[in-house]
Amino acid sequence: MKSFILATILLLSVSLAVAAETQTLVSDAWVREAPPGASMLAGYLTIENPFDEDQVLVDVSSPRFAHVMMHRSEMVDGMARMIHEESITIPAHGKTELKPGSYHLMMPAPDLRLTTGDTVPFVLRFANGEQLEVSAEVRKP
Amino acid sequence: MKILRIIPVLLSLVLILSCGQPQTPALQQGTLLPQAKVIGDFSLVDQNDQPFTRERLKNHWTFAFFGYTHCPDVCPTSLAMLAQMQRRLEKAGTPELPDVIFVSVDPERDTLATLATYVPYFHPDFLGVTGEPDEIHSFTRRLGILYGKAENDSGENYLVDHSASVLLFDPDGNMRAVFGPPHDPEKMANDFIAIRNYYEESQ
Repeated sequence: MKSFILATILLLSVSLAVAAETQTLVSDAWVREAPPGASMLAGYLTIENPFDEDQVLVDVSSPRFAHVMMHRSEMVDGMARMIHEESITIPAHGKTELKPGSYHLMMPAPDLRLTTGDTVPFVLRFANGEQLEVSAEVRKP
Repeated sequence: MKILRIIPVLLSLVLILSCGQPQTPALQQGTLLPQAKVIGDFSLVDQNDQPFTRERLKNHWTFAFFGYTHCPDVCPTSLAMLAQMQRRLEKAGTPELPDVIFVSVDPERDTLATLATYVPYFHPDFLGVTGEPDEIHSFTRRLGILYGKAENDSGENYLVDHSASVLLFDPDGNMRAVFGPPHDPEKMANDFIAIRNYYEESQ
């Protein structure tokens, strides 16, 4: 009986470890603390794709914001431009960073100002149906 | 033999001449204009509702960045960088710190009240500047700063494309240097000191 339990635990932990490995990983999620009166906020995070196929982020939402848009800042000939992205691709076995001056999330600032130390939940939805909940920390870079 | 005696004389002559004309500084990030650019008069207004004219650029150095407060990524990044640069200069005990101004390229939405809370958030000494759309347009054109509403954008939430360069004005109120992105606070601070030393030696 003892060995049976042990085997079960062992099997369970192995399968858990496997499950943990084959999941999209989100790290370093944060929202930039904005000045009082700022109308728009930016959010950043890193997504790692352990799968053999590209992962496509198609939607981001948060109960704290009316909507969340995917954007990319671009510098062309010294001009800063923001481009609205319908989706963001994370290459197979690769990662995509949403970071200042590059891909980022853009949200209208809520009535109650977010300040350093607050946390904001986000839900990321991928084209393959995978859905991830993320908690982002508000901070000053 | 006579020629050999002349050599030290020639060498010291070269040394004296090269001392007379200060060397153009080697910059880490900025580009020094070969000649200071005179920009003429302009009539803008600062966040405290005070006139911001060419006179306000005189007798001190001024860094200027151009952006809009609805911009969530590039503008706060640049303003935070300029604040880091300023704190670096403060820490080094730099005498006569430069002014830093943020000029709105979205005068329709950026009110004085918005600028007054937005800009000093990054550094209490930073100043927001705006004005009539025509004045902003004419001022920025003369500086080579471009901006415009992004295409395919309508309604109140439009985006603005804009030059991301930081400009440096000398105490005569003339444009002296341009710093293209991405900006590094340490390099900017070092370049500022080098440009200022060069300017003072050239006087």
